[in-house]
Amino acid sequence: MSGDAASPDPDAARDAIEYCYEKGWTDGLPVVPASEALVNEFLEHTSRSPDEVLWRMDHLGRECTVHTAAINAAMAGCLPEYFPLVLAAWDAVMRDRAAKGGGWQSTSGPAPLIVVNGPIRHDLEINCTGGIFAGGFRPNATIPRALGLMLRNAFGVLPHVFDQTTQGIPGRWSICFGENEEESPWEPLAVETGLEPGTSALSCTLTRTYEFVDNRHTQDPEQLLNDFADTLSRTGSLIFRGQSAGVVFCPEHAQMLAGAGYAKADVKDWFIEHVGRTEAELRRAGKDAVSEGGPGARSASESERAPADTFTPYLSGRKDIPIIVAGARNAAISMVFRVFGEWSNTSVEIERMAVAAAKGG
Amino acid sequence: MICSDAFHATAQAMADVRGAPGYRYLTTPHPVAGLTPEQVRERAENVAAEVANMLTKDQGA
Repeated sequence: MSGDAASPDPDAARDAIEYCYEKGWTDGLPVVPASEALVNEFLEHTSRSPDEVLWRMDHLGRECTVHTAAINAAMAGCLPEYFPLVLAAWDAVMRDRAAKGGGWQSTSGPAPLIVVNGPIRHDLEINCTGGIFAGGFRPNATIPRALGLMLRNAFGVLPHVFDQTTQGIPGRWSICFGENEEESPWEPLAVETGLEPGTSALSCTLTRTYEFVDNRHTQDPEQLLNDFADTLSRTGSLIFRGQSAGVVFCPEHAQMLAGAGYAKADVKDWFIEHVGRTEAELRRAGKDAVSEGGPGARSASESERAPADTFTPYLSGRKDIPIIVAGARNAAISMVFRVFGEWSNTSVEIERMAVAAAKGG
Repeated sequence: MICSDAFHATAQAMADVRGAPGYRYLTTPHPVAGLTPEQVRERAENVAAEVANMLTKDQGA
Protein backbone atom coordinates (compact mmCIF):
# COMPACT_ATOMS: atom_id res chain seq x y z
CA MET A 1 0.00 0.00 0.00
CA SER A 2 1.11 3.59 -0.57
CA GLY A 3 1.37 4.66 3.05
CA ASP A 4 -1.40 7.21 2.58
CA ALA A 5 -2.31 8.39 6.08
CA ALA A 6 -6.00 7.83 5.35
CA SER A 7 -5.57 4.24 4.31
CA PRO A 8 -5.97 1.41 6.85
CA ASP A 9 -2.85 -0.02 8.42
CA PRO A 10 -2.19 -3.37 6.73
CA ASP A 11 0.22 -4.48 9.44
CA ALA A 12 -2.39 -3.91 12.14
CA ALA A 13 -4.89 -5.83 10.00
CA ARG A 14 -2.43 -8.65 9.62
CA ASP A 15 -1.87 -8.85 13.38
CA ALA A 16 -5.60 -9.01 14.01
CA ILE A 17 -6.11 -11.66 11.34
CA GLU A 18 -3.27 -13.77 12.71
CA TYR A 19 -4.75 -13.42 16.20
CA CYS A 20 -7.97 -14.99 14.87
CA TYR A 21 -5.95 -17.88 13.44
CA GLU A 22 -4.21 -18.40 16.75
CA LYS A 23 -7.56 -18.53 18.50
CA GLY A 24 -8.77 -21.23 16.08
CA TRP A 25 -11.66 -19.11 14.81
CA THR A 26 -11.08 -19.48 11.08
CA ASP A 27 -12.08 -22.02 8.47
CA GLY A 28 -8.61 -21.83 6.96
CA LEU A 29 -9.14 -18.56 5.13
CA PRO A 30 -8.56 -15.21 6.84
CA VAL A 31 -11.54 -13.83 8.73
CA VAL A 32 -12.52 -10.23 9.32
CA PRO A 33 -11.58 -9.36 12.92
CA ALA A 34 -14.91 -8.56 14.57
CA SER A 35 -14.92 -5.55 16.88
CA GLU A 36 -17.83 -4.92 19.21
CA ALA A 37 -18.78 -1.90 17.12
CA LEU A 38 -18.90 -4.00 13.95
CA VAL A 39 -20.99 -6.71 15.63
CA ASN A 40 -23.40 -4.06 16.89
CA GLU A 41 -23.92 -2.88 13.32
CA PHE A 42 -25.02 -6.40 12.45
CA LEU A 43 -27.39 -6.53 15.39
CA GLU A 44 -29.02 -3.29 14.25
CA HIS A 45 -30.25 -5.14 11.16
CA THR A 46 -32.54 -7.45 13.12
CA SER A 47 -35.34 -6.96 15.61
CA ARG A 48 -34.34 -10.20 17.31
CA SER A 49 -32.73 -10.06 20.75
CA PRO A 50 -28.97 -10.71 20.81
CA ASP A 51 -29.62 -13.23 23.57
CA GLU A 52 -32.14 -15.27 21.59
CA VAL A 53 -30.91 -18.82 21.19
CA LEU A 54 -31.02 -19.74 17.51
CA TRP A 55 -30.30 -23.37 18.17
CA ARG A 56 -28.98 -25.63 20.86
CA MET A 57 -27.14 -28.88 20.18
CA ASP A 58 -27.99 -30.68 23.40
CA HIS A 59 -25.65 -33.59 22.80
CA LEU A 60 -22.68 -31.20 22.54
CA GLY A 61 -23.93 -28.85 25.24
CA ARG A 62 -23.42 -25.89 22.89
CA GLU A 63 -25.75 -23.23 21.55
CA CYS A 64 -25.68 -20.31 19.15
CA THR A 65 -27.35 -17.01 19.99
CA VAL A 66 -28.20 -14.17 17.64
CA HIS A 67 -25.17 -12.34 19.07
CA THR A 68 -22.81 -15.24 18.35
CA ALA A 69 -24.26 -15.51 14.86
CA ALA A 70 -23.53 -11.80 14.33
CA ILE A 71 -19.90 -12.25 15.37
CA ASN A 72 -19.46 -15.13 12.94
CA ALA A 73 -21.27 -13.32 10.12
CA ALA A 74 -18.91 -10.38 10.62
CA MET A 75 -15.89 -12.67 10.62
CA ALA A 76 -17.16 -14.38 7.45
CA GLY A 77 -16.93 -11.05 5.61
CA CYS A 78 -20.66 -10.30 5.45
CA LEU A 79 -21.86 -6.73 5.32
CA PRO A 80 -24.17 -5.91 8.26
CA GLU A 81 -27.17 -5.80 5.91
CA TYR A 82 -26.61 -9.47 5.04
CA PHE A 83 -27.27 -10.49 8.63
CA PRO A 84 -31.03 -11.08 8.23
CA LEU A 85 -30.17 -13.56 5.45
CA VAL A 86 -27.75 -15.41 7.69
CA LEU A 87 -30.48 -15.70 10.35
CA ALA A 88 -33.08 -16.74 7.77
CA ALA A 89 -30.70 -19.30 6.27
CA TRP A 90 -30.09 -20.84 9.67
CA ASP A 91 -33.84 -20.94 10.42
CA ALA A 92 -34.53 -22.42 6.97
CA VAL A 93 -31.93 -25.16 7.11
CA MET A 94 -33.02 -26.16 10.60
CA ARG A 95 -36.44 -26.97 9.17
CA ASP A 96 -34.60 -29.82 7.44
CA ARG A 97 -35.04 -32.95 9.55
CA ALA A 98 -31.49 -34.09 8.79
CA ALA A 99 -29.95 -30.84 10.07
CA LYS A 100 -31.71 -31.36 13.42
CA GLY A 101 -30.63 -34.98 13.57
CA GLY A 102 -26.87 -34.74 13.37
CA GLY A 103 -26.51 -33.96 9.66
CA TRP A 104 -23.95 -31.25 10.40
CA GLN A 105 -21.60 -33.92 11.73
CA SER A 106 -22.25 -36.45 8.95
CA THR A 107 -19.49 -38.28 7.12
CA SER A 108 -21.07 -36.90 3.91
CA GLY A 109 -19.96 -33.39 4.87
CA PRO A 110 -23.21 -31.97 3.47
CA ALA A 111 -23.32 -28.41 2.14
CA PRO A 112 -26.11 -25.96 2.84
CA LEU A 113 -27.72 -24.76 -0.40
CA ILE A 114 -29.22 -21.27 -0.02
CA VAL A 115 -31.61 -19.92 -2.66
CA VAL A 116 -32.77 -16.31 -2.37
CA ASN A 117 -35.94 -14.88 -3.92
CA GLY A 118 -37.48 -11.44 -4.19
CA PRO A 119 -36.25 -7.85 -4.45
CA ILE A 120 -33.52 -8.29 -1.85
CA ARG A 121 -31.51 -10.11 -4.54
CA HIS A 122 -31.07 -6.83 -6.36
CA ASP A 123 -30.82 -4.61 -3.29
CA LEU A 124 -27.85 -6.60 -1.99
CA GLU A 125 -26.44 -7.46 -5.44
CA ILE A 126 -26.77 -11.20 -4.92
CA ASN A 127 -25.63 -13.02 -8.04
CA CYS A 128 -28.46 -14.85 -9.81
CA THR A 129 -26.96 -15.25 -13.28
CA GLY A 130 -23.50 -16.14 -14.59
CA GLY A 131 -21.30 -18.13 -12.24
CA ILE A 132 -23.73 -18.84 -9.40
CA PHE A 133 -21.50 -21.71 -8.24
CA ALA A 134 -18.26 -20.04 -9.29
CA GLY A 135 -17.64 -17.30 -6.74
CA GLY A 136 -16.88 -13.63 -7.24
CA PHE A 137 -19.80 -12.05 -5.37
CA ARG A 138 -19.65 -10.95 -1.75
CA PRO A 139 -23.10 -11.95 -0.45
CA ASN A 140 -23.01 -15.27 -2.30
CA ALA A 141 -19.61 -16.06 -0.81
CA THR A 142 -19.99 -14.78 2.73
CA ILE A 143 -23.55 -15.72 3.78
CA PRO A 144 -22.95 -19.49 3.55
CA ARG A 145 -19.48 -19.05 5.02
CA ALA A 146 -21.14 -17.50 8.08
CA LEU A 147 -23.08 -20.74 8.63
CA GLY A 148 -19.83 -22.70 8.48
CA LEU A 149 -18.19 -20.42 11.04
CA MET A 150 -21.25 -20.66 13.31
CA LEU A 151 -20.98 -24.42 13.19
CA ARG A 152 -17.32 -24.25 14.03
CA ASN A 153 -17.18 -21.48 16.58
CA ALA A 154 -20.58 -21.62 18.26
CA PHE A 155 -21.22 -25.35 18.26
CA GLY A 156 -17.60 -26.52 18.30
CA VAL A 157 -18.07 -28.85 15.33
CA LEU A 158 -14.43 -28.97 14.25
CA PRO A 159 -12.92 -31.08 11.45
CA HIS A 160 -11.53 -34.48 12.48
CA VAL A 161 -13.42 -34.40 15.78
CA PHE A 162 -17.16 -33.62 15.85
CA ASP A 163 -17.17 -32.90 12.12
CA GLN A 164 -16.72 -36.45 10.82
CA THR A 165 -16.68 -35.56 7.12
CA THR A 166 -14.98 -38.25 5.03
CA GLN A 167 -14.26 -35.96 2.05
CA GLY A 168 -17.08 -33.43 1.91
CA ILE A 169 -18.79 -31.45 -0.81
CA PRO A 170 -16.44 -29.20 -2.82
CA GLY A 171 -17.21 -25.60 -1.91
CA ARG A 172 -19.19 -26.77 1.10
CA TRP A 173 -19.64 -23.31 2.63
CA SER A 174 -20.06 -21.30 -0.57
CA ILE A 175 -23.36 -22.36 -2.14
CA CYS A 176 -25.73 -19.39 -2.10
CA PHE A 177 -27.38 -17.59 -5.00
CA GLY A 178 -30.49 -15.76 -6.07
CA GLU A 179 -33.03 -17.39 -8.32
CA ASN A 180 -32.95 -15.86 -11.80
CA GLU A 181 -36.61 -14.90 -11.57
CA GLU A 182 -36.32 -12.48 -14.47
CA GLU A 183 -35.42 -15.23 -16.94
CA SER A 184 -37.32 -18.09 -15.34
CA PRO A 185 -40.52 -19.20 -17.09
CA TRP A 186 -41.84 -20.58 -13.80
CA GLU A 187 -42.98 -19.18 -10.45
CA PRO A 188 -40.15 -18.38 -8.01
CA LEU A 189 -39.30 -20.99 -5.40
CA ALA A 190 -40.59 -18.78 -2.57
CA VAL A 191 -43.96 -18.45 -4.32
CA GLU A 192 -44.13 -22.16 -5.08
CA THR A 193 -43.55 -22.83 -1.39
CA GLY A 194 -46.40 -20.58 -0.33
CA LEU A 195 -45.22 -16.98 0.02
CA GLU A 196 -46.68 -13.94 -1.71
CA PRO A 197 -45.02 -12.83 -4.99
CA GLY A 198 -42.46 -10.10 -4.37
CA THR A 199 -41.55 -11.40 -0.91
CA SER A 200 -37.86 -11.41 -0.09
CA ALA A 201 -37.25 -14.91 1.22
CA LEU A 202 -34.86 -17.80 1.07
CA SER A 203 -34.90 -21.56 1.21
CA CYS A 204 -32.08 -23.69 2.51
CA THR A 205 -31.39 -27.39 2.74
CA LEU A 206 -28.40 -29.66 3.22
CA THR A 207 -27.10 -31.20 -0.01
CA ARG A 208 -24.75 -34.09 -0.78
CA THR A 209 -23.71 -34.03 -4.45
CA TYR A 210 -23.65 -31.70 -7.46
CA GLU A 211 -23.28 -32.68 -11.11
CA PHE A 212 -23.60 -30.85 -14.44
CA VAL A 213 -26.06 -31.71 -17.13
CA ASP A 214 -24.53 -30.11 -20.23
CA ASN A 215 -27.04 -30.60 -23.00
CA ARG A 216 -26.95 -28.17 -25.92
CA HIS A 217 -27.65 -31.05 -28.22
CA THR A 218 -31.40 -31.39 -28.55
CA GLN A 219 -34.58 -29.37 -28.87
CA ASP A 220 -36.70 -32.34 -27.88
CA PRO A 221 -37.93 -31.91 -24.29
CA GLU A 222 -38.19 -35.65 -23.70
CA GLN A 223 -34.60 -36.18 -24.76
CA LEU A 224 -33.51 -33.37 -22.47
CA LEU A 225 -35.51 -34.76 -19.55
CA ASN A 226 -34.00 -38.19 -20.19
CA ASP A 227 -30.53 -36.70 -19.89
CA PHE A 228 -31.51 -35.21 -16.52
CA ALA A 229 -33.14 -38.47 -15.42
CA ASP A 230 -30.01 -40.43 -16.31
CA THR A 231 -27.87 -38.13 -14.17
CA LEU A 232 -30.39 -38.17 -11.31
CA SER A 233 -30.55 -41.96 -11.51
CA ARG A 234 -26.85 -42.63 -11.00
CA THR A 235 -26.13 -45.22 -8.35
CA GLY A 236 -22.99 -43.59 -6.97
CA SER A 237 -24.73 -41.24 -4.57
CA LEU A 238 -27.59 -43.59 -3.78
CA ILE A 239 -27.85 -44.73 -0.19
CA PHE A 240 -31.53 -45.38 0.55
CA ARG A 241 -34.86 -45.47 -1.20
CA GLY A 242 -36.89 -42.29 -1.12
CA GLN A 243 -34.07 -39.87 -1.75
CA SER A 244 -34.64 -36.24 -2.57
CA ALA A 245 -32.93 -34.57 -5.51
CA GLY A 246 -33.33 -31.33 -7.37
CA VAL A 247 -32.22 -29.35 -10.38
CA VAL A 248 -30.85 -25.84 -10.75
CA PHE A 249 -32.01 -25.30 -14.32
CA CYS A 250 -30.20 -22.76 -16.45
CA PRO A 251 -32.63 -20.35 -18.11
CA GLU A 252 -32.20 -22.02 -21.52
CA HIS A 253 -33.21 -25.48 -20.33
CA ALA A 254 -36.09 -24.11 -18.26
CA GLN A 255 -37.38 -22.00 -21.15
CA MET A 256 -37.17 -24.92 -23.54
CA LEU A 257 -39.21 -27.13 -21.23
CA ALA A 258 -41.73 -24.38 -20.51
CA GLY A 259 -41.99 -23.66 -24.23
CA ALA A 260 -42.93 -27.30 -24.76
CA GLY A 261 -45.72 -26.92 -22.22
CA TYR A 262 -44.07 -28.21 -19.06
CA ALA A 263 -44.96 -26.46 -15.84
CA LYS A 264 -42.62 -27.01 -12.92
CA ALA A 265 -44.99 -29.62 -11.52
CA ASP A 266 -44.96 -31.48 -14.86
CA VAL A 267 -41.18 -31.69 -14.78
CA LYS A 268 -41.34 -33.06 -11.25
CA ASP A 269 -43.94 -35.64 -12.21
CA TRP A 270 -41.79 -36.71 -15.17
CA PHE A 271 -38.84 -37.21 -12.86
CA ILE A 272 -40.93 -39.18 -10.33
CA GLU A 273 -41.87 -41.57 -13.11
CA HIS A 274 -38.48 -41.89 -14.80
CA VAL A 275 -35.77 -41.41 -12.20
CA GLY A 276 -34.65 -44.79 -10.87
CA ARG A 277 -32.92 -48.01 -11.82
CA THR A 278 -33.93 -51.62 -12.36
CA GLU A 279 -33.09 -54.30 -9.84
CA ALA A 280 -30.45 -55.69 -12.20
CA GLU A 281 -28.78 -52.27 -12.55
CA LEU A 282 -28.82 -51.72 -8.79
CA ARG A 283 -27.44 -55.22 -8.21
CA ARG A 284 -24.56 -54.50 -10.59
CA ALA A 285 -23.52 -51.69 -8.23
CA GLY A 286 -24.21 -53.70 -5.06
CA LYS A 287 -27.12 -51.42 -4.23
CA ASP A 288 -30.06 -53.74 -4.70
CA ALA A 289 -30.76 -53.30 -1.00
CA VAL A 290 -32.50 -50.03 -1.77
CA SER A 291 -35.28 -51.89 -3.60
CA GLU A 292 -38.68 -52.21 -1.98
CA GLY A 293 -38.32 -54.61 0.94
CA GLY A 294 -34.53 -54.70 0.63
CA PRO A 295 -32.38 -55.24 3.70
CA GLY A 296 -30.93 -51.75 4.08
CA ALA A 297 -27.46 -50.44 3.36
CA ARG A 298 -25.70 -53.65 2.33
CA SER A 299 -26.21 -55.63 -0.88
CA ALA A 300 -29.16 -58.00 -0.87
CA SER A 301 -28.71 -61.72 -0.32
CA GLU A 302 -30.14 -64.20 -2.84
CA SER A 303 -33.40 -64.70 -0.94
CA GLU A 304 -33.96 -60.96 -0.60
CA ARG A 305 -33.61 -60.12 -4.28
CA ALA A 306 -36.45 -58.74 -6.34
CA PRO A 307 -36.93 -59.76 -10.04
CA ALA A 308 -34.18 -58.32 -12.26
CA ASP A 309 -36.51 -56.09 -14.28
CA THR A 310 -38.24 -54.53 -11.26
CA PHE A 311 -37.92 -50.74 -11.55
CA THR A 312 -37.07 -48.92 -8.34
CA PRO A 313 -38.08 -45.26 -8.54
CA TYR A 314 -35.95 -42.98 -6.36
CA LEU A 315 -38.27 -40.01 -5.95
CA SER A 316 -41.62 -40.28 -4.22
CA GLY A 317 -43.26 -36.87 -4.41
CA ARG A 318 -43.09 -33.35 -5.80
CA LYS A 319 -42.05 -31.98 -2.41
CA ASP A 320 -38.82 -34.00 -2.65
CA ILE A 321 -37.74 -32.32 -5.90
CA PRO A 322 -36.67 -28.70 -5.49
CA ILE A 323 -36.50 -26.97 -8.86
CA ILE A 324 -34.76 -23.63 -9.20
CA VAL A 325 -33.79 -21.51 -12.21
CA ALA A 326 -30.47 -19.70 -12.02
CA GLY A 327 -27.35 -18.99 -14.02
CA ALA A 328 -26.65 -17.22 -17.28
CA ARG A 329 -28.59 -17.59 -20.52
CA ASN A 330 -25.39 -18.16 -22.51
CA ALA A 331 -25.32 -21.97 -22.60
CA ALA A 332 -27.52 -24.97 -21.88
CA ILE A 333 -25.74 -26.13 -18.72
CA SER A 334 -27.69 -27.00 -15.59
CA MET A 335 -26.83 -28.58 -12.24
CA VAL A 336 -28.35 -31.62 -10.60
CA PHE A 337 -28.02 -31.94 -6.84
CA ARG A 338 -29.01 -34.44 -4.19
CA VAL A 339 -30.62 -33.34 -0.97
CA PHE A 340 -28.84 -34.79 2.05
CA GLY A 341 -31.97 -35.53 4.04
CA GLU A 342 -35.34 -33.98 3.49
CA TRP A 343 -35.89 -30.50 2.03
CA SER A 344 -38.48 -28.67 4.13
CA ASN A 345 -40.24 -27.48 0.95
CA THR A 346 -40.62 -24.08 2.59
CA SER A 347 -39.08 -20.63 2.34
CA VAL A 348 -38.34 -18.22 5.18
CA GLU A 349 -39.19 -14.54 4.81
CA ILE A 350 -36.16 -12.28 5.26
CA GLU A 351 -36.53 -9.51 7.82
CA ARG A 352 -36.12 -6.20 6.03
CA MET A 353 -36.79 -3.61 8.71
CA ALA A 354 -33.22 -2.52 9.18
CA VAL A 355 -32.30 -2.66 5.49
CA ALA A 356 -35.17 -0.32 4.68
CA ALA A 357 -34.13 2.01 7.50
CA ALA A 358 -30.55 2.10 6.24
CA LYS A 359 -31.85 3.22 2.87
CA GLY A 360 -33.95 5.91 4.51
CA GLY A 361 -37.21 4.09 3.68
CA MET B 1 -20.91 -48.29 23.97
CA ILE B 2 -19.33 -49.88 20.91
CA CYS B 3 -18.20 -47.91 17.86
CA SER B 4 -16.04 -48.70 14.87
CA ASP B 5 -12.40 -47.79 15.31
CA ALA B 6 -12.63 -45.02 12.67
CA PHE B 7 -14.64 -42.96 15.16
CA HIS B 8 -12.17 -43.10 18.01
CA ALA B 9 -11.37 -39.35 18.02
CA THR B 10 -15.05 -38.39 17.97
CA ALA B 11 -15.90 -40.81 20.76
CA GLN B 12 -13.10 -39.44 22.94
CA ALA B 13 -14.22 -35.86 22.29
CA MET B 14 -17.83 -36.77 23.03
CA ALA B 15 -16.82 -38.25 26.35
CA ASP B 16 -14.90 -35.09 27.21
CA VAL B 17 -17.74 -32.74 26.23
CA ARG B 18 -20.23 -34.76 28.29
CA GLY B 19 -18.00 -34.42 31.35
CA ALA B 20 -16.79 -38.01 31.32
CA PRO B 21 -13.13 -37.90 30.25
CA GLY B 22 -11.68 -41.39 30.19
CA TYR B 23 -15.11 -42.94 29.62
CA ARG B 24 -14.51 -46.52 28.54
CA TYR B 25 -16.01 -47.88 25.36
CA LEU B 26 -15.25 -50.70 22.97
CA THR B 27 -14.34 -50.59 19.32
CA THR B 28 -14.81 -52.99 16.44
CA PRO B 29 -12.78 -52.78 13.22
CA HIS B 30 -14.05 -50.39 10.57
CA PRO B 31 -16.04 -50.77 8.30
CA VAL B 32 -19.32 -52.11 9.63
CA ALA B 33 -21.97 -50.80 7.20
CA GLY B 34 -21.52 -53.43 4.48
CA LEU B 35 -21.35 -56.51 6.73
CA THR B 36 -23.74 -59.42 6.25
CA PRO B 37 -25.85 -60.55 9.22
CA GLU B 38 -23.47 -63.49 9.67
CA GLN B 39 -20.45 -61.18 9.81
CA VAL B 40 -22.20 -58.93 12.33
CA ARG B 41 -22.87 -62.01 14.48
CA GLU B 42 -19.16 -62.86 14.33
CA ARG B 43 -18.28 -59.36 15.43
CA ALA B 44 -20.70 -59.66 18.35
CA GLU B 45 -19.18 -62.96 19.42
CA ASN B 46 -15.70 -61.49 19.27
CA VAL B 47 -16.58 -58.53 21.47
CA ALA B 48 -18.97 -60.27 23.89
CA ALA B 49 -16.34 -61.12 26.49
CA GLU B 50 -15.09 -57.54 26.54
CA VAL B 51 -18.65 -56.25 26.95
CA ALA B 52 -19.22 -58.53 29.91
CA ASN B 53 -15.92 -57.49 31.39
CA MET B 54 -16.69 -53.78 31.02
CA LEU B 55 -20.20 -54.12 32.48
CA THR B 56 -18.94 -55.92 35.55
CA LYS B 57 -16.00 -53.54 36.24
CA ASP B 58 -16.08 -49.93 37.45
CA GLN B 59 -15.99 -47.29 34.71
CA GLY B 60 -12.53 -45.82 34.36
CA ALA B 61 -10.99 -48.35 36.72
